[in-house]
Amino acid sequence: MKKGYAIGVMASVMVLFAIFFVYPAWTIVSEAFWKKGGGFTLSYVFAVFHDPVYLEGLWNAFLLGITSTMVTLMIAFPLALLGHKYDFAGKKILGVLVLVPLILPPFVGAVGVKEMLGVDGAWNALLIDLGWMDAAHPYDWLANGRFLGIVLMNALHLYPILYMNIAAALANLDPAMEQAAENLGCPPWRRFWKITFPLAMPGVFAGSSIVFIWAFTELGVPLVFDYARVAPVQVYDGIKDLGGNPLPYAIVAIMLAISAVVFAVSKLVIGRSPLGTAPRPKGRSNDVPLKGIRSYMVAGVFLLLFLVASIPHVGVIFLSCSNDWYQTVLPNTLTMRHFDEALGNSLVVPSIKNSLYYASVATVIDLILGLAIAWVVVRSKIRGRGLLDGLVMLPLAVPGLVMAFGYLALSQPGKPFAFLVGADGNPALLLIVAYAFRRLPYIVRSAVAGLQQSNPVLEEAARSLGSTPARSLRKIAIPLIGANLAAGAILAFAFAMLEVSDSLILAQQTEHYPITKAIYTLLSTLGNGEQLAAALGLWAMVFLSVAIMGAAIIGGKRGGLFKV
Amino acid sequence: MESIRAEKVVKAFGETRALNGVSLEIHPGELFFLLGASGCGKSTLLRCIAGLETPNEGKIFFGDRDVTDLAPHKREAAMVFQSYALWPHLTVAKNISFGLEERKVPKDEIKRRVDEALEMVKMKGYGERSIDAMSGGQQQRVALARALVVRPKCLLLDEPLSNLDAQLRVEMRREIRRIVKEYGLTAVYVTHDQEEALAMADRMAILAGGVIEQLGAPEDIYRNPRSAYVAGFIGETNLLDGQFDHGFVDSIAKWGSIGIEGRVTDESWQPLAGDKVKISIRPEALRICDDGSIVGNVIEKVYLGQRIQYWVETVSGRLQVVELNPQRLYALGDAVKLTVNREDVIFLAK
Repeated sequence: MKKGYAIGVMASVMVLFAIFFVYPAWTIVSEAFWKKGGGFTLSYVFAVFHDPVYLEGLWNAFLLGITSTMVTLMIAFPLALLGHKYDFAGKKILGVLVLVPLILPPFVGAVGVKEMLGVDGAWNALLIDLGWMDAAHPYDWLANGRFLGIVLMNALHLYPILYMNIAAALANLDPAMEQAAENLGCPPWRRFWKITFPLAMPGVFAGSSIVFIWAFTELGVPLVFDYARVAPVQVYDGIKDLGGNPLPYAIVAIMLAISAVVFAVSKLVIGRSPLGTAPRPKGRSNDVPLKGIRSYMVAGVFLLLFLVASIPHVGVIFLSCSNDWYQTVLPNTLTMRHFDEALGNSLVVPSIKNSLYYASVATVIDLILGLAIAWVVVRSKIRGRGLLDGLVMLPLAVPGLVMAFGYLALSQPGKPFAFLVGADGNPALLLIVAYAFRRLPYIVRSAVAGLQQSNPVLEEAARSLGSTPARSLRKIAIPLIGANLAAGAILAFAFAMLEVSDSLILAQQTEHYPITKAIYTLLSTLGNGEQLAAALGLWAMVFLSVAIMGAAIIGGKRGGLFKV
Repeated sequence: MESIRAEKVVKAFGETRALNGVSLEIHPGELFFLLGASGCGKSTLLRCIAGLETPNEGKIFFGDRDVTDLAPHKREAAMVFQSYALWPHLTVAKNISFGLEERKVPKDEIKRRVDEALEMVKMKGYGERSIDAMSGGQQQRVALARALVVRPKCLLLDEPLSNLDAQLRVEMRREIRRIVKEYGLTAVYVTHDQEEALAMADRMAILAGGVIEQLGAPEDIYRNPRSAYVAGFIGETNLLDGQFDHGFVDSIAKWGSIGIEGRVTDESWQPLAGDKVKISIRPEALRICDDGSIVGNVIEKVYLGQRIQYWVETVSGRLQVVELNPQRLYALGDAVKLTVNREDVIFLAK
């Protein structure tokens, strides 16, 4: 590849990143350090640490992050290990089914959980019906277990990310490594601790850091659970009226610092791992075919997890087609009218159209940028390509909330990004840019993984047969990594459709609402708002499950998705 | 058919210099070998010729044309890769037709030429198969057909036979040479297998440490190695430490207490009496006969059917002797007398 081209790509990506990522992030963070009259100060940051309410919020957010990550890990690791070690009944389908939780924005799932586990929900109704609970004194599971409820929602939503990471790390292990240990007389359990587990650590850390940052900065779920004593919600409430109190900005700066540290530590651990230089495995995997009852037991574990993870979805489904679901196990009467009504609602149809438009344009931008970046990172030898690789991963470390407020502040009339907002306040461009930069890491990761796995000799062969660089890219490289690209694109698209922070904060007029904001607005609408929201959520679920399953089938085998 | 010329080519990867000023000229229509141990720079030189690496210094010419900075796809130098580099997403026929499509050859001609190419490599009827369904030998032939079908000005082969089993390798050697000669191609062939080079090459260059150690026809290099490295790399040899001495008529060197007549192959080197030299004697050049002047005892033997290998312990050290079609077998401990022609003894500087 021509050096000039590589440098050109790198320079333009760096500039774009500086403008659309570093600048907005800095705009928010710097608020925390600048005094009203000007001048640097740390007093706001200290003020946060002296304010017991904010301190509690940060501590809760941190606890939420840690606990969610631990629970997620406890679900994902055994699951990935079972999938790696054994071949069992229905492995393929179950392997895809356990990814399903990704298809529901967690805050929509939280609505479903409330219906199932709330005071007047299905679970209590079942207990009362069974006579195990006094109808006069129902137990409020969520109020008493709000924290755990959020953790559970996060874990059930996020474990697929960790699962895919660990599964990919395990799949990339050369089976010969375990076989060599076996050959040298190492029993299975010790083999796991001495060989498999250490070698899977990069996957564990990569996935865990994403999960932690996600849970740590999660806004939607605590909002729905009315859990106000957590930093993201405090920030959301505090910054809603721009200007004024600088303390929320200081909280953002602190959260960003914590995220960055977690991200850097995980990068460091992964960077040190010897796995990076290990050759890719050749030959077949060594998973053990299970027979009879054991096969069904392992399949049962997968199925059970799928069912538990589907509780929120089931709740949403029931809610969406219930006339009246109150203090009963199942809705008394079922109706399809919410679906019709949802489609007739002035919010719903435009929001679907908007989200499709925003997400698909953002995905196209991501594809072009991602492929160019991956190309430079993997195939060129210019200096700084490692820096570029690290830079494009940064959006994973910066909470969506920070970016959202950054864009909001910069897109006010008279500010540099005002041109991104249409004449009538149409945030389309702004949201597309926001989505594109937030989701870019997924496409870069999958494209890089694809290019690394495809032998450059295959492209050189085309060059030696008279193919121009552009044509060898189009005819050889892209078809070969097509699966990776498609998988990355589908994920980027799905996550753009589910995006919460930017969507809630940047879309101001109802006609420009994306799906997530429409759902959130419907939730707080009186009457059958919740049912309508659920109906819209269900539409989104059906739609996204097709997309995610497609991604899993196309790219899941190759791994590399969600990798840091 | 075109000549290929390299002029003082230097290629460095970071601190290591893979090529350290290599110059050579490959004649039109020649099957030229680049030979050397791994890491000697032979593949780097081939990739510079293909345009897949750009030299840091020096120039590469195809005929009179300077191609040093020409992009690989404009060089018309088709390459056969060690790993074959067949595209798994295309069929056998699609792999072969790729280069023709790039050259915008009409469809019916593409079909005809692909069929011809398949026939040439004895793969007729395999066109619609997938690459994964091919065995190693078949993949090798597809790779060869893919490179040849575009009728390149030169053919570059990077250890194309290293992944094949011994028997197939011998078969493919003849095939590749036949095809190269039939098409009148200028071909550059990289290998570390000296037997392959001896069997196939018109001329060859032996590389070591990024420079050419020796360049010439196979028989010339085998008969007249100009360095101990080349003598040891091409074929087997007894490499003895000796001291140079002038005889009355011929050159003589002392190997311990044994004096051996021989000759100097490196014209640039004129040893003086008393200089330390290396003495190279091929095992098959040593003969066991009753009037031999070197006496010793058989201490080890390996019987290989068509030939037998002995190790003979003399007062000055150990010698390997190979007898072809042996009539009389010696037992361990037997005393033998050895003789060697002056022509077969080479004195080397290092």
